[in-house]
Amino acid sequence: MNGNIITAEKLTKTYRRGNEKLYALNEIDLEIASGEFAAIVGPSGSGKTTLLNMLGCLDTPDAGSLRINSVSVSNLKERERGKLRREIMGFVFQQFYLLPTLSVRENIELPFLFNRQSGYKETVDKIIETIGLTARVMHLPHQLSGGEMQRVAIGRALVNQPRILLADEPTGNLDSGTARNIIQLLQRLNGQGLTIIVVTHNEALANLAHRIIPLKDGKIV
Amino acid sequence: MHTIKFVRFALKNLLRRRTRTALTILGVAAAVAIFFSLLTFNAGYTRQLNKELDRVGAHLLAVPKGCPYEAAALIIHGGVIPQYLMIEDLALAQAIPGVEVAAPLLLHQFFKDNRPHIVYGIDAVQMQDLKPWWSMRDGRFFTNDEKGVMVVGNSLAKSENLKVGDVLSFGLRQEPFEIVGILDETQSQDDEFHFLSISEVQRIFDKPDQMTAIAIKLTDVSRISEISARLQEIPDIQVVTMSQMMGTVLNLVGSVRSLLISVILVAVIISIFGIINTLLMSVNERRSEFGMMKAIGASGGDIGRLILIETVFLTLSGGILGIGFSILGSTLIEGFVRDIVPYTPAGNLITVDGGIIGISLAFSLIIGIVCGLYPAIKSSRLSPMEAIRNSYE
Repeated sequence: MNGNIITAEKLTKTYRRGNEKLYALNEIDLEIASGEFAAIVGPSGSGKTTLLNMLGCLDTPDAGSLRINSVSVSNLKERERGKLRREIMGFVFQQFYLLPTLSVRENIELPFLFNRQSGYKETVDKIIETIGLTARVMHLPHQLSGGEMQRVAIGRALVNQPRILLADEPTGNLDSGTARNIIQLLQRLNGQGLTIIVVTHNEALANLAHRIIPLKDGKIV
Repeated sequence: MHTIKFVRFALKNLLRRRTRTALTILGVAAAVAIFFSLLTFNAGYTRQLNKELDRVGAHLLAVPKGCPYEAAALIIHGGVIPQYLMIEDLALAQAIPGVEVAAPLLLHQFFKDNRPHIVYGIDAVQMQDLKPWWSMRDGRFFTNDEKGVMVVGNSLAKSENLKVGDVLSFGLRQEPFEIVGILDETQSQDDEFHFLSISEVQRIFDKPDQMTAIAIKLTDVSRISEISARLQEIPDIQVVTMSQMMGTVLNLVGSVRSLLISVILVAVIISIFGIINTLLMSVNERRSEFGMMKAIGASGGDIGRLILIETVFLTLSGGILGIGFSILGSTLIEGFVRDIVPYTPAGNLITVDGGIIGISLAFSLIIGIVCGLYPAIKSSRLSPMEAIRNSYE
């Protein structure tokens, strides 16, 4: 593995419930090396998703600093964070969030619509091949199984050739056999040099990671 | 290329909720149909009124003192007023320099099958000077000294199935009149009248030397003010110009038009709130989707643009549909307008006009932008985190 692609120092996020101040993340120090496969685990409410969202520039910390790909992102504006997400990150969600009226190919191509890139046909073909859905490119999401939908979501996350893949419970909605296929796919992608950070309750997936980051009450334990 | 893809993407989004999309489009269509109908009615009404006044053939109408504009409107439209000018007034009018034609008119009504019919007493020679475009569909015109003959308008002949040689009886003593000619269509109220020599109308309705109005044509229209003033000096006469007539008739329909405008405003406001409500519901339902889009690189502008394209598509489709409905239903609309508007000229009131179609489409586009702006801004400001978290709640 190479140098750190993510460096977080004393990363803190709080919420208010009435007069009470709740720590979703409490002074987290974390380094993720380029090419690393890290799994964030912990009980519900421990701050796993909040940490993943923070590392993915979807959320901003209340305190602490965060550097991603040598850029300090703590004080970036939404537009700049959007650019960073577009250029170096891919996201996979538990709910897939596929657009029901778009075909497999169109869902995968979606990021190109937003970064105004053209001439991406070969890239998309290659991604479709990687996720094993060559025969299903024109199908709509409702014609796919859960595992296939998650593969499309992974394909969409990979299409802009990100350096970091962030996945929130990518096997959470899948049966064990399908989950195993997804895990193997993630493992293969990591083998090709992609940095992967997953939030998971799936032990098999967590055990494949180079490092497990256990969270409890907003702290790494 | 990307714009086309964006538009296609927006259209596919709309197709996800077909019923809601269809209902919203229908709502806009209703508002635009009313808007388009009012504009076409307004333009058609003014055009036909102009045409009708033009078809009077006179520059001025001399009417008995009283309510001159209403009287003139009634005369052109075939109404009867209970006041008369006398033959001396006609002589005085004809003597004024600059008057080329001063044609006496005497209108009277008779009833047949419980429907009023208008008898128009005219001077055959002078009337044909005033209306040189008159031509005969069948038969011939009468001469001033002929008795017991008449010419009928084209529409009247069609609706009553009249032909040359038919005889109708009317007047105080139910005297017979033979039809010697049927006019070609004039697209004016003339199509509905029975034309007789004025001396015959005076005789059969017992109005000797009396006339309802004098239609006056000038040698030089630029002298209209001067000659009007001279005519006003005749004690029994009040003068109405065609432009004054136009203003009076438009005032008569003004209140109906105001009512129609109010209906349109209400329809448009309801439609606008309906569209905004639909869009806000749609934005709320798709929060997590927008969150995902932002996560994969969409900017707030992209999301806002998407909503605006969807809205503009909704309202433009509604606009096109509304205009289509309006054109297809123009006969019904015209019938309705003729029932509620006090004075409607002959001819088509509602005709398709490219300019009005353009204005109506622009109107639906503006509705789209107005309605889409708030939901677009709202959705563009969604934080990706908040949007995605929303799906867990």
